[in-house]
Formats: sequence, structure tokens, C-alpha cells
Amino acid sequence: MPMTDNSAGKTGAATEGVRARDRLALLTADNAAVPLPAGVQAITAILLAVLLIALPWLGLGYRFLSIAITTLYTAIGLYGLGLQFGQAGIMSVGHAALMGVGAYASAILSVQLGLGFWTSLPFAMALSAIVGGVIGLPTLRVGGQHYIIITFCFCALFVIVLTNGGTFTGSATGLDVGSVTPLPGINFDKLSNNYYLVLAALFLALAATYLIGNSRYGRTLRAIRENEQLARSVGINVDLHKLGVLMVSGLFAGLAGVLQLYYLRHISPTLFGAFPSLYLALMVMLGGARYLYGPLIGAVVVNFLPEVLNLDPVDSRIAYGVCLLLVILLLPGGVGAGIKNVYCAVRGGFEKQGGGTNGRA
Amino acid sequence: MAALEVRGLRKQFGGVVALNGIDLDIGTDQVVGIVGPNGSGKTTLFNVVTGVHPATGGTVSWQGQDITNLGPHRIARKRLVRTFQQAMSFPGLTVDENVRIAWEQGRMGGSRWASPGMILNFVGLAPLGRAIAGSLPFGSLRRLGLAVALGVSPELLLLDEPGAGLNDSEAQAFAAVIAQLPPQGIGVCLIDHDMDMMSDLCDRLIVLDFGTKIAEGLPAEVLADPKVREVYLGPDKKAAAS
Ligand SMILES: Nc1ncnc2c1ncn2[C@@H]1O[C@H](COP(=O)(O)OP(=O)(O)OP(=O)(O)O)[C@@H](O)[C@H]1O
Ligand SMILES: [Mg+2]
Repeated sequence: MPMTDNSAGKTGAATEGVRARDRLALLTADNAAVPLPAGVQAITAILLAVLLIALPWLGLGYRFLSIAITTLYTAIGLYGLGLQFGQAGIMSVGHAALMGVGAYASAILSVQLGLGFWTSLPFAMALSAIVGGVIGLPTLRVGGQHYIIITFCFCALFVIVLTNGGTFTGSATGLDVGSVTPLPGINFDKLSNNYYLVLAALFLALAATYLIGNSRYGRTLRAIRENEQLARSVGINVDLHKLGVLMVSGLFAGLAGVLQLYYLRHISPTLFGAFPSLYLALMVMLGGARYLYGPLIGAVVVNFLPEVLNLDPVDSRIAYGVCLLLVILLLPGGVGAGIKNVYCAVRGGFEKQGGGTNGRA
Repeated sequence: MAALEVRGLRKQFGGVVALNGIDLDIGTDQVVGIVGPNGSGKTTLFNVVTGVHPATGGTVSWQGQDITNLGPHRIARKRLVRTFQQAMSFPGLTVDENVRIAWEQGRMGGSRWASPGMILNFVGLAPLGRAIAGSLPFGSLRRLGLAVALGVSPELLLLDEPGAGLNDSEAQAFAAVIAQLPPQGIGVCLIDHDMDMMSDLCDRLIVLDFGTKIAEGLPAEVLADPKVREVYLGPDKKAAAS
């Protein structure tokens, strides 16, 4: 049977004939499903790594480096959210609370038992993972919208519990910890060393995200996101994998929370409430949850935007709202999608994008 | 003993009796056709056999094991695989990835396909590997549905109207692909409304009406059965619609 289709062999002439409207459609399309060539991926990774490693040497100042650290540990939390939302299609608007579980677990272990950063880290991550899974249990029975509400409620409840936890949780004032236990020759009181600690964790999160995305596990998650019924019919245990990815996401959140705790040295309930949670959701959508660098881009934009534009907190909230609306309307795949499309366009590689992604713009 | 044995299978949706005590034996070396008017329970039969809906009564056994009410993914892993009446895919992913997902699930315990590419070749989708499934023309989407099911490395395939919505030449090409399956050890149980194609393709036909099996046998015999002519083809000669 002859295959008449527009996606396989688009000729150069056809590409030239692409009209402006179609070009716009291609620039705004979500092309996460089509991988870039391995060489391009490798070069991007190396350039990014060099830039991030060199950052403290660029003489950008204390304030810049502080915001950079905030950006990076936020991004680590976002990589968990990127996995559960971008890959498995399960959105949460209570993710800051999950980071809070890790942060508070570590802080309480420090205050009550005197455990330091390194020893409390595995416990904090495990607890975040367990809590992430438990919150996810109801999703197995009901739809994704229901889960969003549950995560939001969890967030509110978490803040209430912390504020009423007496000296155990430090109530509204919160808890303090010392600095990260030094490694031989590395003192984490120095800001640039703290930056490298967080950066190392970010690289781990990035590597994990990359490996998962290109593995059978990642494909299984995407299958669930795309069509649960079909996923079941090919032998995928959908319920188990949904719980699993929420727990993996919890691991990332726990790690991010502990890094946040030991950077700030002081945590209080408001850090993990509804607003920070909504910001996390905003960042992951803004950056592009399905793209390897999407969460990082989202974190950079949201953390540096008020700084660059010199906005006060109220104005920056308005700016975030406008950004989010623009992205949802114009660039459903997020900024990450835009960057990838621009790259493909510059390479004249429209035919690489699998063609007929529906031309609604 | 047949690979798939269905005994007294019942399914009720509230007051609607969709399956009213069905007995079936299906092997893995034949194409068995299931026909019947709209709403006679064909899709429901597949849904209950593959664990999508729980049975109200009766048993399903597969290769000697009772699989009644096992979850759909468990049944698929036992290499009893079905397709859906509405063409289905993982729409946001490439054709390659769609098939790879199924192939990786079927690989545990050995796949009959060395690679997902072999499946694409077999169904004639190899040139479209990089296309996004959601952007495929309908005929290719139907092929992809078959490729995904084959990816699981099935021993018996339950195909729910795989030819629906295809034009004549596409449907014929599709039938030719299906006919190649039993010789490779993949049994086929096929639902379709196209009686000409069914009598050509099927070794055996089963007729359902109101959730009851009213006839079974060689296509020519079944189609000559006065009961079948009355309920299925209707009082006037050919009312078969899709
Ligand atoms: N999920 C469901 N909930 C309630 N009733 C259902 C459900 N699925 C099927 N039914 C009912 O069961 C009966 C059999 O439907 P089924 O879809 O199995 O028919 P079919 O033989 O596949 O028809 P068609 O040829 O139109 O595909 C119909 O009366 C239908 O309305
Ligand atoms: Mg049907």
C-alpha cells in the first residue's frame, strides 16, 4: 500500500515553501519527542557545565552567587517535578511542601539527634519519597485534577502542622542548623564552596533526568502520560509506575530541601507553603517540563527576572503571571521548546521535526 | 485443549446484560472471526477477557491458567494482547518510540522480534519511524495500533475492528498482514463487520447476538445458517454496516 504522508521525506523545495504562519507554528511547537543529534546534545552539556563551574570566578559578586545557589537547589526540586509532570504527566501544586519534608526532616534530625548534613541526607530524601508516594495513593483511584487539589491541600496542611508543632518543629519561627559538615580541605562556610556543593547535586539531578529520559523506564512513564489504557494493554503496571515516579520525584525534592536548609541555615513554615509551591509549578511550565534543560531555565528565569528588571515583589508577581500566560498561549512546550525550535530553524532542519505537528498557532 | 478457554462468561452493566454466558475456545494457529450486530457484546467480550472490565460471572483461562479478572497489564504480559476499536497510539511520541515501548514490555522472557524496527517493517511503517504518532494519517495509525500490539510479542491477538475506517485497498492490505500471523505462531481473534473479508480471512466464525453465541463454525456454514441470516443480516438481505 502506498504511504502518502507529509512527515518522511520533505524536500528542500517544500521547506522553502513553508509560509510565515507555518514557520511560527513550527517555532512554537512542542517537539520534545524528537531528539537532537548526539553531538549537539554533548556540546550543549559541556558548554553549560563549563559556564556553571566557572560562575564563581566571573567576579559577579556575593548577591549574584546567592541567587545562583537558590536557583540551583530550586532547579533540583524542579527536576523531580519535571519527571512526574513532564514524563509521567502528573502535575503537583504542592511541591514546595515535599521539599519542606526533606528540609524539616534534616533540621529535626540535627536538632534532636545532632545528625549533620551528610548523615541526615539519606533519611530526609527517603522520607520525602515516602510522603510523595503516600500523597499519590489517591491518584490511583481518581484523575489527575483530583491529585492537584490533594497536593494543594497537603501543602496547606503541612504549614499548619509545622506552625503548631511546638519546639519540635520550631513553630512559626522555624529551626536553625549549623553549616554543612566540612569534607577534608573543603569548608562549606565559604559561599563558593556551598555553590559547588549545590552544583554537584544539580549535575546529579541532570544526569539522572537524562538517563531516565532515555531509558526504558522513561519511555514507560511517557507511555502512561500519553495513553494510560494503551499502556496497560501492552503490559505496563500503570499504578505501580505512577507511585514509583512520585517517590522518585520525592527523592529529588528531599535533596533540594536539605540543600536549601543548609544554605539558609534557618527554615520556617512559610518557605514551603502555597506560594512557593505555585512558583515551582510556574517555573517548570515556564521552562518546559519535557526538556532536559527546561526546569533549569525556568528556575533561572524566575529567580533572576526580578533582579535583572529591578522589580519589587508585587511587580514581579505580576511579571510572573504575564510570563506564564504568554508561555501557555504562545509556547505550550515552555522556553526550552522555543530554544530547541529556534535551533532547528537556524539549522534549516524543519524536516527533522517530524512534520505535521498540527499547525494551530 | 485450546489456548484461550472462556466458560459461561457473563457481564452486566447495571440492567444491561452485555454478555450472557459465552463459551469459546480459541487456539493460536488460526484466525477466528467474531461478528454480530452493533451492541451485541463483541467489544465487551474482549474487555472482559483482557481484564479491562471485571466479569459478572464465568471464567477465562489462558494456557491452562485461570486469568479471570486479572489486571490488563498482567494479561498482556502473558502474551494475550488486544487492540482497541478506536485507533489508539501514544500520540505525542514518535512511531519508533510507540513500538519500542511495547517491544520493551514484551522482551521479558524473550521477544519474537530482535528489534522494534522488525515490527515496523512487518506492518509497513518503517519509513515513518520518526513521525509523531498523533500526526499520522488514519490508515497508518491503524497499522501503528497493530504494530504496538505485535510489539508485546503476543501468542494470541484480539483485534477489535482493525479495518474500521479504512478504504478498500487499505483494508485489503491490512487483511494480508493479518493473514501472515497464524503461520508465525500468532493466533488471531478478529472482530469486523465486513463479511466478505471475514469469510476470506477466518478459519472459523462466531456469531454473537444480545450477548449470546448463536452460531459457530466454518464461515460458509455459519453464513448459510438461517438463524444468523435472520438476526445478523436482517430480514432484507444485507444490512451489514460498520
Ligand atoms: N462501559 C460500559 N458501560 C455501560 N454499558 C456498556 C459499556 N460497554 C458496553 N456497554 C453496553 O454493552 C452492550 C454491548 O456493547 P459492545 O460495545 O460490547 O458492543 P459491540 O458488539 O462491540 O458493538 P459495535 O459493533 O457497535 O462495536 C451495549 O448495549 C452497550 O451499550
Ligand atoms: Mg465494538
